[in-house]
Amino acid sequence: MALKGGGFERKSKASGDIPSSSLADIAFLLLIFFMVTTVFRAEAARPIEWPTAAATEQIDEKRDSILYLWLERNGDIWINDRAVPMADVAAVVGPRWLESGQRLIISLRADALVPYRYVDLVQEQLKRSGAVYVVFATELERRMTAGRR
Amino acid sequence: MAIMNKKSKISDEIPTSSMADIAFLLLIFFLVTTVFPKDSGLRVVLPEESEEVAVSQRNVLHLQIQPNGVVEVRYGESEDLQQVPASQVESIWRTNVAENPNLIAAVKTHPDAPHSAMISVLDALQLAGAERISLQLLEEI
Repeated sequence: MALKGGGFERKSKASGDIPSSSLADIAFLLLIFFMVTTVFRAEAARPIEWPTAAATEQIDEKRDSILYLWLERNGDIWINDRAVPMADVAAVVGPRWLESGQRLIISLRADALVPYRYVDLVQEQLKRSGAVYVVFATELERRMTAGRR
Repeated sequence: MAIMNKKSKISDEIPTSSMADIAFLLLIFFLVTTVFPKDSGLRVVLPEESEEVAVSQRNVLHLQIQPNGVVEVRYGESEDLQQVPASQVESIWRTNVAENPNLIAAVKTHPDAPHSAMISVLDALQLAGAERISLQLLEEI
């Protein structure tokens, strides 16, 4: 015996709509998840003038494995918001180098006009601490003749 | 009570159907506006302490950076200096390394020269593809 209308319309109790009342909860969950997991580096930037270089390359490393070393124009050194005397740089960097499994990268953020004698002293200290991977932080210099690379 | 209910046409509930839109709007806004500062610079690997390598003077190109930014180029043991701006270092390196693939660039910077002068020479060398670079302090002779 054939049912009228296929016999389906009455039996189907489930709504054809996707329940949208919990969508807000999902969205807020995502929002809060991203807000909580986003870590911003707390370190304050030192006022330096960046040197520029056309060969500047991006350093794709985890932020944990980069140590920023600021060198100001008058030769002052700042590591993690603390002024460090030149003679103590090796003592500060050394433990971090070992902690990182000898993979630590030093980003040397030196002022463009700092006399090179200070840069050389920093390099001597870094050699003594063992940290040999150094990046001279620069800004990309945009030249008109770009594209030769 | 029945009469009261019929009179009130306005719902006393906050409309929740647009909440998802608001939340997704905020989510997308923060996703788009969050910028992570990228680290960029010139990579070098310092030599280990007490790592002294004897090199033949024939394989060394001396680049002496003076406080005013002028680069003095000296090839190997020869005494004659050639004064060039930092922008010409790249072509000088290219022509010299074509003749001698074992060439080492010895960048000697004067203690009073600005950091940017050394960076511009290092920049030129890295643009020219140099990998054997030694950074030193220029000693007064």
